[in-house]
Amino acid sequence: MTIANSIELKQDYWSYVKRQFKKNKRALFSLYVVGFMALIAIFADVLANEKPIVCKYEGKTYFPIFNEYLVDLKIGKPYAELNNISWIDADFDFAIRPPIPYSPNTQDILNFGFVSPFGKQDVKSIRWRHWLGTESIGRDVLSALIHGTRIAFMVGLVSMSIASVIGILLGSIAGFFGDNRLKASRATLFMFIITGFFGFFYAFTFGKILLGLIIILVSFILAYLLGFILKPIPFFKKKIAIPVDILIQRLIEVLVSIPGLFLIIAIIAIAKPSIFLVMVVIGLTSWTEIARFIRAELLKVRSLEFIEAAEALGYPKWRILLRHAIPNSVGPVLITIAFGIAAAILIESFLSFLGLGIPPETLTWGKLLSLAGGGKSELWVAIFPGFAIFLTVTLFNLIGEGLTDALDPRQKK
Amino acid sequence: MLKYILKRLLIFIPTLFVIALATFYLSVNVPGDPVEQMLNSNNDAGSSAGQKASEQAYIDKRHELGLDLPVFYFSISNQAMPKNLYEIPKKFQRQNLNQFIKKYGNWNEINIYYNQVQKFSYLVSDIPSDSTNADILINIKDDVQNLFLENDDKLLQYTFTNLKSNIAKDSVLESSLATALQQTNFDYNQIKEKATPNKKLIPALHWYGTQNQFHQWITNFFKGDFGISYQDGRPVKTVIWKAVRWTLILSVISIILTYLIAVPLGIFSAAKKDSLMDQGISTTLFILYSLPNFWVATLLILFFGGGDFFDIYPANGVGQLEPTMSWIQQFWTRTHFLILPIICFTYGGLAFLSRQMRGAMINTLSQDYIRTARAKGLNEEAVLWKHSLKNSLIPIITLFANVFPLLISGAVIIEFKFTIPGMGKTAYEALLARDYPVVYTIVMFSAILTLIGYLIADILYAWVDPRIKFDKK
Repeated sequence: MTIANSIELKQDYWSYVKRQFKKNKRALFSLYVVGFMALIAIFADVLANEKPIVCKYEGKTYFPIFNEYLVDLKIGKPYAELNNISWIDADFDFAIRPPIPYSPNTQDILNFGFVSPFGKQDVKSIRWRHWLGTESIGRDVLSALIHGTRIAFMVGLVSMSIASVIGILLGSIAGFFGDNRLKASRATLFMFIITGFFGFFYAFTFGKILLGLIIILVSFILAYLLGFILKPIPFFKKKIAIPVDILIQRLIEVLVSIPGLFLIIAIIAIAKPSIFLVMVVIGLTSWTEIARFIRAELLKVRSLEFIEAAEALGYPKWRILLRHAIPNSVGPVLITIAFGIAAAILIESFLSFLGLGIPPETLTWGKLLSLAGGGKSELWVAIFPGFAIFLTVTLFNLIGEGLTDALDPRQKK
Repeated sequence: MLKYILKRLLIFIPTLFVIALATFYLSVNVPGDPVEQMLNSNNDAGSSAGQKASEQAYIDKRHELGLDLPVFYFSISNQAMPKNLYEIPKKFQRQNLNQFIKKYGNWNEINIYYNQVQKFSYLVSDIPSDSTNADILINIKDDVQNLFLENDDKLLQYTFTNLKSNIAKDSVLESSLATALQQTNFDYNQIKEKATPNKKLIPALHWYGTQNQFHQWITNFFKGDFGISYQDGRPVKTVIWKAVRWTLILSVISIILTYLIAVPLGIFSAAKKDSLMDQGISTTLFILYSLPNFWVATLLILFFGGGDFFDIYPANGVGQLEPTMSWIQQFWTRTHFLILPIICFTYGGLAFLSRQMRGAMINTLSQDYIRTARAKGLNEEAVLWKHSLKNSLIPIITLFANVFPLLISGAVIIEFKFTIPGMGKTAYEALLARDYPVVYTIVMFSAILTLIGYLIADILYAWVDPRIKFDKK
């Protein structure tokens, strides 16, 4: 890693990267736009909602949107008095409504069948206008786009978090330990196999994910402890190298060889549709690129002086890996993550375009786009969500390019 | 080199085996019953003989599909699970029994109960339906189905009381069914009384040998027999062979177009680096690269393919060829139908490849040996085409490996949108219809193709850059 040496500038690696990144105006601008879209995603509920933010009904004041959060968190109760009213037509004494007074699932029965944003709309006033038109059953396109932003960003974020954790962990283990630097005594290995078997067996028998993970974890700790019992026997004392690099490389090869989209469609087609599942599956299938990247990076880092110094000081290998080697090599991984977010958003839109993975009532960008047929009036439903996908993907790609310029030493001038 | 190729081919085997296992595992755990799907039978047989006949038909079909074998060479389960549970023909009943065993752990009692339910259901189907008992009989039949498919205690108790009260309504029913029902209920209570749920905590290994579904499938696969499609009973080979044609046509044309346009474009762009032309090309390519292909497909169809705008190109199918047409006419018809899909197929890869080509070329042009070449007075043409091109091709070649999987996934959306009967559409539809023989075969083939793609890329790599050696490590 080159580190900027100028005296007046902050010297650490990340401020250097930041400065380099800021030089790329397009990438910086993209980052700001992404930030703005993230705000839209966070505040989607108060930006587009059929419920008012504050309203007064028969003398009492209500906060319907915030109350819904409380209900979702199971610390509040829904307003019993407002249970049976129509949010749109109710006779509130006064109400402050969100800028877009429609939820993505609100059906405007007066304006169904692809009402154009520029044409005449049958609405009470300009306040109620569908600024980007409606789709076939009268749902507001703009509202769906705003809420779709949230889904798209969540997909990008969650799936790439999963992918990063797996990718960084496996990639760094492969790169750092190689084929002969991770050694364990035969005793520990033997115990690992036995307790691992029982761990997985009971995890599957009980069939609960969290409990299963705990059981597997406990069984591994147990293996380590039980290993000490066997160690006095000379045969078990011998240390052998575990070829982690080969194993992980094969795993990556397998995952890359199965057409990823098929794998995702296969898993999603057989399970109950849920957006969370889509995120997990995308995350579980897209870590290979990150792993390859960090593996290559660690191959470089592991022969640097500070790692040798740490080894000379007698620190345990795992500590060197987690505290010294990984923090000094995750920089370039940011590039893959940026491109990965773009890809994840694209995959999710693609899946919902095919109608897979999301519950039927949820409107995402891809789903909205799929509603467009060949008619002139449907043009808007095709253009807006498609553009939203395109824009988001482009922005993340631009950020990825900016990061490549800032982080990749090969391209430095 | 040969040694390297052999080594790589050897490594293929475990990789392929794992892929086969993964797809197989997924298919075993899917909901839905392929036998039921193929038979399309209604279970409403008039008598026990009819019911037995339809059950026999089910068993025969199951045998024909090879689904009456154990799933894998061995199974790791627990002491409570019997070794031969797979012999229970109906999938849903088998799953229900599985749940029973998980809950109570005493197969003996569960088996007695299951047989009793079976007997009871024959008794019910033997009762002739007449005007007085028709409604009650329908209710009873529904409840009997529930006995086969439920394991929840409350639901079963409810079903039993329901059955009892329904039977009591009619004297004929009562005389013929009451004792059997009582026996069934007794057997059920026996399960609960003699429950040994702790038995499932002891692991058990069952060995089945090579007479199993996975073994049959994988050996047949390498013999070239891919099974029959669950959807229409055609051999998978025929289904795929028909589909492969279209995907091949589309992808070969689009690969050729991609490389033909992308390589010169990238070189041109790199040679005129930072000029107005270069900036224009780069921006356009970047935009093209980020355009989602399903959006482009939607817009192309909307604007050119039979929408309200320009109805120039057909958006559906591949066109009908008449035998009377001359080959020019035939060619023209096909082109007419395929032009929009090919645009969709090509633009993304084109943009990607051109950008890579430009980057690689710029990288090469900044090398010392290029400066030397220029310094000794070579003209720009020679520098570009003779000295830079070959070295810039390396990254392009590695991309060749990614082309195969890309084509298949790209094919899904484009063939789906333009209704072209190719691999992508076939695979997608097979997946939705849970037609696993077709899905397996396509996944295996694309995995093999991808692995071969990587191998070819590595070999080409060495060919272009003699510095890369594989034999030494």
